[in-house]
Amino acid sequence: MPSGSIYGYIGDQMTLTQALFMGLLQGATELFPVSSLGHAVLIPSLLHWGFKQSDPSFVPFLVLLHLGTAGALLFIYRSQWVGIIKGFFTAAVRGRIETPTERLAMLLLVGTIPAGILGVYLEHELKNLFASPTAAACFLIANGFLMLGAEVLRRRAERRAAVTAKTRVEQEESFGAAEQISFRAAALVGACQALALLPGISRSGITIGGGLLAGLRHEEAARFSFLLATPIIAAAGVLEIPQLFSTAVPWAEYLAAATLAGSAAYLSARFLLRYFRSGRLDPYGWYCAAAGVISLALLTFRP
Amino acid sequence: MALVVLAVVFLVVAGLYAVGVLQFMVSDPNASHHYTHAILFSVLAVASLIGANFARAKRTG
Repeated sequence: MPSGSIYGYIGDQMTLTQALFMGLLQGATELFPVSSLGHAVLIPSLLHWGFKQSDPSFVPFLVLLHLGTAGALLFIYRSQWVGIIKGFFTAAVRGRIETPTERLAMLLLVGTIPAGILGVYLEHELKNLFASPTAAACFLIANGFLMLGAEVLRRRAERRAAVTAKTRVEQEESFGAAEQISFRAAALVGACQALALLPGISRSGITIGGGLLAGLRHEEAARFSFLLATPIIAAAGVLEIPQLFSTAVPWAEYLAAATLAGSAAYLSARFLLRYFRSGRLDPYGWYCAAAGVISLALLTFRP
Repeated sequence: MALVVLAVVFLVVAGLYAVGVLQFMVSDPNASHHYTHAILFSVLAVASLIGANFARAKRTG
């Protein structure tokens, strides 16, 4: 048995370093609008690592990474989630929305349902169809242009609204908060999450872009995206928990990777919420387009 | 009323998926239970009931 390897479980090939790297990668790229699935498919392939995330034996590892990421999101928004859950039950029983938090709770329900339906029915087919590194590179390019397109439309909306603020922060303040999004827009943004089943399409990128088109501030679009992602990521993790006990799992290595994923997700979310006070999606759009093109070239021309 | 009926239908579908009778669009047709699908339809049932309650409150209020 090679030293430091999670030997005999993930295709006999993933070392502890690789596991920790994958944890860090998953945690960081899950929230950055650059597609975690795309990176998880592309990077091992480009580095000639033998394991495949589509391999069924990889599921317990992914489950823990997702739980780590969901844990970080729940921790960041812990007080908001308490309010959202209370608001959900209050509004559901009363049959009427009276506060912004109750409205946000219902918006999250409306946004989660289409993502849940599409995720449950399409996940297997989409992952099987497009799990190749070449497809991931192509979708990464598409993801980049989708985000750049969303910013082009946003700038147009800013010009139409004749936003004449001195700073970007002031300019952003003329747009709405997550609680103000329409139910139809919430459902559409939620449905867009399903596109993230395609490796290379970023869940946060597509939902932040959707939020921008619905008239949200960048920071609020990111908040709505993260809140919307939490139930889906957590559910995906929790539903697969039985898999953790179905086979012998190297707990220490897996938990170390999950902790790293959670820490990376926490730091990523903190950074992004600060960044989007004045920043735009453009740098991530250009990054995805460039990373996709470079990956495609490397995959095509490598020896 | 229509939403309540829909909720009942969703609950029945959830039950059928849970016991493995319904095999519509599942990733593993050999699996005896499809809990993910069952949970999804249970959530849809709850959402339908909430929608029905909202509609009732709007009518009476």
